[in-house]
Amino acid sequence: MTELLYWQALNRAMDAEMAADETVFTLGEDVGLYGGTYRVTEGLMAKYGEWRVRDTPISENSFTGLGIGAALTGLRPVVEIMTVNFALLAMDALVNMAAKIPFMSGGQFPMPLVIRMPGGVARQLGAQHSQRLEHMLMNVPGLRMVVPATPQDAYWQLRQAIRSDDPIIVLEHELLYFSKGPMDESAVAPAMHQAMVRRRGSALTCIAYSRMASLALEAADTLAQEGIAMEVIDLRSLSPIDWQTCQQSVEKTHRLLIVEEDCRFAGAGAEMAATLQERCFYLLDAPIQRVAGMDIPTPFNGAMEAASIPRSADIIAAARALTAAA
Amino acid sequence: MDRSVMAAMLRDMLLARAFEEQAAQEYAQGNVAGFLHLYPGEEAVAVGVLHAAEPGDYVVSTYREHVHAIVRGVPPRQVMAEIFGKKDGISGGMGGSMHLFDRERRFLGGYAIVGETFPIAVGAAYAVAYRKLPEAVICFFGDGAVNQGTFHESLNMAALWKLPVLFVCENNHYQIGTEIHRHSAMVEVHKRACAYGIPAEKVDGMDVLTVHGAARRALERVRAGDGPQFLECETYRYRGHSMADPGSYRPAVEVNAFVANDPIAAAIHHAEPHYPSAEELQCVGPDCVHRFTEHCCAEGHLDPAAVEQLRQEVGAIVQDAAAFARQSPAPEMVDVQAAFLRNRRFETLMEDPQ
Amino acid sequence: MKQSITMPVLSDTMETGRLVRWNKQPGDPVKKGEALAEVETDKAILDVEAFADGFLAGPLAPVDTDIPVRQVIGYLVDEAEKGQAATPPSPGLGEPAPIPSPAPAVSSTPSTPIMSSPSPVAVPPTQPSTALEKAAAFPPPSTPLPTGVRASPYARALARDLGVNIAGVLPGPDGTIHAAQVLAAALAAPEADLRQGPPYALERPSTLRAAVARNMAATVQTPTFQISARLAVEPLHQAAKKAGVTLTLAMARACALTVAADPWFNHAWTAKGVAKRERVDVGIAVDTGDGLVTPVLRDAARRPLAELAEDWRILLGKVKKGRLNPEDYQGASFYLSNLGIFPVVSHFNAIVPLGASAILAIAATDTQGKADFTLSCDHRIIFGADAARFLAALAKRLDQPDSSLA
Repeated sequence: MTELLYWQALNRAMDAEMAADETVFTLGEDVGLYGGTYRVTEGLMAKYGEWRVRDTPISENSFTGLGIGAALTGLRPVVEIMTVNFALLAMDALVNMAAKIPFMSGGQFPMPLVIRMPGGVARQLGAQHSQRLEHMLMNVPGLRMVVPATPQDAYWQLRQAIRSDDPIIVLEHELLYFSKGPMDESAVAPAMHQAMVRRRGSALTCIAYSRMASLALEAADTLAQEGIAMEVIDLRSLSPIDWQTCQQSVEKTHRLLIVEEDCRFAGAGAEMAATLQERCFYLLDAPIQRVAGMDIPTPFNGAMEAASIPRSADIIAAARALTAAA
Repeated sequence: MDRSVMAAMLRDMLLARAFEEQAAQEYAQGNVAGFLHLYPGEEAVAVGVLHAAEPGDYVVSTYREHVHAIVRGVPPRQVMAEIFGKKDGISGGMGGSMHLFDRERRFLGGYAIVGETFPIAVGAAYAVAYRKLPEAVICFFGDGAVNQGTFHESLNMAALWKLPVLFVCENNHYQIGTEIHRHSAMVEVHKRACAYGIPAEKVDGMDVLTVHGAARRALERVRAGDGPQFLECETYRYRGHSMADPGSYRPAVEVNAFVANDPIAAAIHHAEPHYPSAEELQCVGPDCVHRFTEHCCAEGHLDPAAVEQLRQEVGAIVQDAAAFARQSPAPEMVDVQAAFLRNRRFETLMEDPQ
Repeated sequence: MKQSITMPVLSDTMETGRLVRWNKQPGDPVKKGEALAEVETDKAILDVEAFADGFLAGPLAPVDTDIPVRQVIGYLVDEAEKGQAATPPSPGLGEPAPIPSPAPAVSSTPSTPIMSSPSPVAVPPTQPSTALEKAAAFPPPSTPLPTGVRASPYARALARDLGVNIAGVLPGPDGTIHAAQVLAAALAAPEADLRQGPPYALERPSTLRAAVARNMAATVQTPTFQISARLAVEPLHQAAKKAGVTLTLAMARACALTVAADPWFNHAWTAKGVAKRERVDVGIAVDTGDGLVTPVLRDAARRPLAELAEDWRILLGKVKKGRLNPEDYQGASFYLSNLGIFPVVSHFNAIVPLGASAILAIAATDTQGKADFTLSCDHRIIFGADAARFLAALAKRLDQPDSSLA
């Protein structure tokens, strides 16, 4: 067991898969000589050469489509889109091609494609570079999406995604790349889309993902001192979602708090609230609550930016309110 | 040229024409729903190019791709059944007219978003180059597609990395109903390839032998490692854009429409087969199938009796395909799920939480 | 500046308070410390005081409604904002939650059909699995609730499975019936089924009555026993007269001294252990005409009798005005209940309140100057012989009253 940064874990996953399977290659803006804007592909070009680590022009739709064409013909591309915001230029490739071809061909063509990209609000990058678009991609049947919150999950889930014959989006987070955590390369990975109970509790269930999972754990520490035992579930995957783990927890706590960085209106949490009330309605002792990003473009000013997305204190306040009327 | 190749090309052209004619008829009878984009008039391009291809080559096509699939070798039965949306279709009824796929014949699909064929073809070509194989990728598209961003993005990457792809523009002068002078500043499409240093040639797309010769030479250069090549084939679409379009592209009809000043008429659904009159055809040049038939007879490769026999033969194939499609069962929801999940067969999505 | 006025917390057990009246109207100027409103709690009516100078602003919480503690009941504004005083609070961030529409708890309208014929909802025996097991299945329509009361889905499901009539469950402090309230109702004694009897109307009990009912019901799990003796009251009565104190006070003093001599009577059984108190606080049952209160004499064994007499006078005054504070009536370690003013009562026993070891019930004095003394004891703390020794010691004190009143 070693302590690694999130980007280092991703880098090791890439290296391991490229060494194990020579049909695996990566492409994207600045992934080669530069080593990736968040260093994820650092050192790979020197080791595997230009054809396996390809610097591309700024042509998101076409280099993503190129990955799709290569996946159709037997390669296992890992396309890096520099940030999720640029993926909007590749929506045709993602939605109309990657998600549809395996199905429209009657299952003839697998789509062993991985799209890696960071999303979320970082530090004062402005409205165009601070988006959470997971809800858009969740609504595309045929695409799957994992949202690792820890270096260990980043390592596991990227490797699992590369080995999958379905198109998988690995949605990373800009503020997680330099977070540290334990990583064991030899540990057995759980299934790619399985949710994890990160902390046990009986008073309420908190469902979170990506960076919000660690924020929820932080809040749970404070709440525990007040005698509020909050169970924290890290979803790890947004498509599909491991409803069973969520449902089992709600059956125990009867109270559900959903924490998402995504904007509230029609965000990822809306799907969780809708499905879990369908599955758990008669077990709920209070309305499902969401702590979510505000429905505004991300402000540039640092304080306003921070206030526009959930903070630990927001989670604590929501948990208190949800458990107060017991 | 080898006589058998000529005969095979003529046979495919006749088959293509008869197949599309049958498809139109099935549509008119209500056996086919949705969009139906037909190919008559452009047969020389598909037949000329694909007869120059090798079995190891990949083909990427558009939503007007029945003929590309058939010439590539996809059984007409399975193409027709797919157009019908039936279980025995080449894509199990999940794709439809615009989305024919055949993994075995390296037919990478018909794409219904204009401009998607470029990155798919470039990606396939990347995989070929990656493995250093002597294969080529043939990418079909229309004159309307060259104004999409993917055209420029993909040609740039193909040229940058010298990828083995042959771009084939089927220039029928219309993007649906907008004539090329009204949609492009540069109407000589092949000149656009110059921006990326890709060798490009414009040929008469109504002459199958010309197309075939040009395609063969271009594919030789592709396989020799010269990087991407570009072919512009000038051709004509005899029908409208789709069955929902009366085909008002023809000059005479176009003039009439202008005179009547009735744009609505151009949008009315015309289900019955609607061909130009002999006089109207004169305006757009000779029919490619007719022209090649006469050529074969004049050169002594075939006699009229042999041509008639070919017609009988392809007529029977098309009738058989239609009968097959009609009796094929419709897919059920379980088939839909199976197609959707087929590539997950080795994967555990979720484990039971302990 | 706009500041919230909230329902005050007046005791640890207080979950709701009922506004009796507003003394001021929106726009009225108020001084710090001034009584803005009166609130009825478990046992008393208390003032809601202004915490600053300013103007009262609405919306004001309605009177005669149970309101959870800490909930906003009105606002104080500066003069500068006086003009906006009457506008309702905006629902923006950081604003306190708006006051929910008043929940008229139990409707006092006699003809409300649901309330006048409460029907327990039984789980149909043919139903193979409980609602909880089949959470996704749609259950039959639930029992309607009184207007203004809501129940969580889980509470309804629990009620169905436990056979609790949810219409009879009192909501929690947020006006909603949660699982906790249903569970409490399920554990509570079954309610009487009045449907077969004469027609009736339901009326909401006063908070005092409701509190007594709750406190008494809470003692059901205390294992108790009674022990009786006939003791002479007359000597103490005479001594009290001589000392210028009431018999009740003299009796309380005698009991306090007896308790102090045997500390087990000053202990209480708790889940965490035996609570050994350092002081003898004697609670004395007082009839208010609308129920029962138990003002407490603090440190009744050690403090001078004159001080106790002054305390008692003040307490009785508060009882009369209905202004007893929680600290006035909570937390006695020994209780006294005297029905001696009713000559017809020859014998009775009392219920040991939670937190006490015993309660002494004193009946009317007979012609020989003797009365029936019945001690009810928590058997977890007090055993039969202890109780017998206690009565013997008390008998001795009553025979030598000067030892108590010195």
